[in-house]
Amino acid sequence: MSALFLAAANLRFHWARTLVLVVAAALVLAVPVLTRTLLAQGEAQLTARANATPLLLGTRGSRLDLVMAGAYFTDDLPEPTTMAASEAVWDSGLGIPVPLHTAFTTGGARIVGTTLDYFDLRALDVAEGRGFALLGEAVLGSAAAARLGAGPGDTVLSDPENLFDLDGAYPLEMDVVGVLAPTGTPDDEAAFVDIKTAWVIAGIGHGHDDIVAEGEDLSAAAARAVQFARITPENIDSFHFHGDPATYPVTAVLVAPYDERSATILRGRYLDAEGPVQAVVPRDVVDALVARLLRIASLVDAVTVVVGLAAALALGLALFLTWRLRAPEMRTAFALGAGKGTIARLALAEVGLVLLAALALASPIVIILMRNADTVAARLIALGS
Amino acid sequence: MIRATLAALLLAAPAAAQNRPVIVADSYPVAYFAGRLAGDAAEVRLAVPEGRDPASWRPGLAEIVEIQAADLIVLNGSGLSDWTTRAALPRARTVDTGRGLEGDLIATDTITHSHGAEGSHSHEGVATHTWLDLGLASRQAEALAPALARAVPGADVEGALAALLSDLSALDAAWDGLVDGEPVPVIVSHPRYEYLGAAYGLDVSALDWAAGAVPDADQLAALGALAAETGARVLVWEAEPPDAARAAVAALGLAQAVVPSLAVPPVQGDFAAAMQAGLTDLQAALSDAVR
Repeated sequence: MSALFLAAANLRFHWARTLVLVVAAALVLAVPVLTRTLLAQGEAQLTARANATPLLLGTRGSRLDLVMAGAYFTDDLPEPTTMAASEAVWDSGLGIPVPLHTAFTTGGARIVGTTLDYFDLRALDVAEGRGFALLGEAVLGSAAAARLGAGPGDTVLSDPENLFDLDGAYPLEMDVVGVLAPTGTPDDEAAFVDIKTAWVIAGIGHGHDDIVAEGEDLSAAAARAVQFARITPENIDSFHFHGDPATYPVTAVLVAPYDERSATILRGRYLDAEGPVQAVVPRDVVDALVARLLRIASLVDAVTVVVGLAAALALGLALFLTWRLRAPEMRTAFALGAGKGTIARLALAEVGLVLLAALALASPIVIILMRNADTVAARLIALGS
Repeated sequence: MIRATLAALLLAAPAAAQNRPVIVADSYPVAYFAGRLAGDAAEVRLAVPEGRDPASWRPGLAEIVEIQAADLIVLNGSGLSDWTTRAALPRARTVDTGRGLEGDLIATDTITHSHGAEGSHSHEGVATHTWLDLGLASRQAEALAPALARAVPGADVEGALAALLSDLSALDAAWDGLVDGEPVPVIVSHPRYEYLGAAYGLDVSALDWAAGAVPDADQLAALGALAAETGARVLVWEAEPPDAARAAVAALGLAQAVVPSLAVPPVQGDFAAAMQAGLTDLQAALSDAVR
């Protein structure tokens, strides 16, 4: 008891040194646990999402980019394919296509232009408000709503793509009509709109007043044309689209085949390496990615062990040097009758107290992160490249 | 297994709330086809309120939400229900019966306008009453059948489709016999009959008279001028006109017939009966005109 008292008094007296030792030890203890937890959660989420995404179609190119953009809404955007790819699946009668347009963001949250089928496919529930019904309406994922501080009745503005591209996409102010219940998936981080709304942001569809007066030169009328930046009940009927809908862009097409046989036939249709569209089974791509992650995790484990050993040696050295500095003090204690055992107990008590304090500091950090590991992992996955 | 579950989830999402699947159609002809194919196994509803023209009707938010909840949404397509381009509908539960008809659509007026840095551009309009060509109507029914079979598993869609196609084919054959040889000029009270004319040998010139109203002197003068210009001896009404209107047109020496455009349910009978009645009336009018 006296050893503990003396050790605690000494640590308290040298509080700055003690604090450094405690923080260093806490980090050495917490970091491997945090890394492992996040990796495990990330792997679980990647795999679960991939399993819930039977098939993705997109422009032939990077399979990983297609999966990350189509299933996880990351920034890795593949070259867009067209609605023709989606309609081809519909016409085949082999599955249900769900087009996804993920090229835009609002306040950093990915705008996912899709059809109502997406909500059925992912079994997403609207926790507040309602689903989108009209052009210009948005439904926010739970995390996106919290981050943007927006809910039903508020508006969100699409982020401009390029401030210097005067002919590019104009920001569109969208009415938030609903917020989804949290799912622990990338859906939490997204803002969902009807795919036609995404095409309005892309400039394929637009609304404006009838501006050409009878007998007026078209170029003169064009000069004073102002497109609507918000879709309202008053102007919604003026919104229209140009060109063949089959040529409208989509980032990816999520396909839910009717059965295993349909899935096999569908995959077979996109095997031609010369074809513009590829079919990717996200589970295959993610399995390969997770295998790579696990190899990296093993390396991280080995590095952690080495770093941990180095940190332990550094801590040991720090304690040893401290005891060297305290040699006169120990000699005095020895002269007063304290045996070698008492001095050893004193040293062990100090080490024990430092480790206990480090554990006390590391534990809440680890607990808090483990409780929020799904959210943190989802956010990290959504960050993409 | 997962794939089948997901697909089933998509198709069955709204069905859990009711016993009989609900089919919502945007116009009467496709509602009629859906009713024939589904029989008693589904409840078929017309989205458009009674007395409203599907081509000009705009649903409110509550109506869109109700349509979204249907087990199957049947659209005529071909630009009839313009509101569908601005509303969110579940694609898995929506069937556009006009898909595949693109090469057979008849272009109407082209609207050109201009805005922004894009310069001018055009909206090419297409005639929307595709079902008045019964060959196209048959293809619309065929396009509807697979989606309906998925949405209403209890219906004998295959058998019902065969019967419907047989009826439509018989009607088509009857209409084919209306005109023998060169197209016959006729004037119609509304611009709805492009497909009817193209399919059955009628050279159609259209007025745009208000339904149920008696034409004024200017309208009658325009009708007389159009008849003289085209050589038409028959006026086709979309619905039974007031007696005064019929008398005024008769005074111009024109024979008259009522051929409902059928975007909305006919006053009597169903689609097939109304098409048959319209044919009979038009045959009589053409005979009168020859005399």
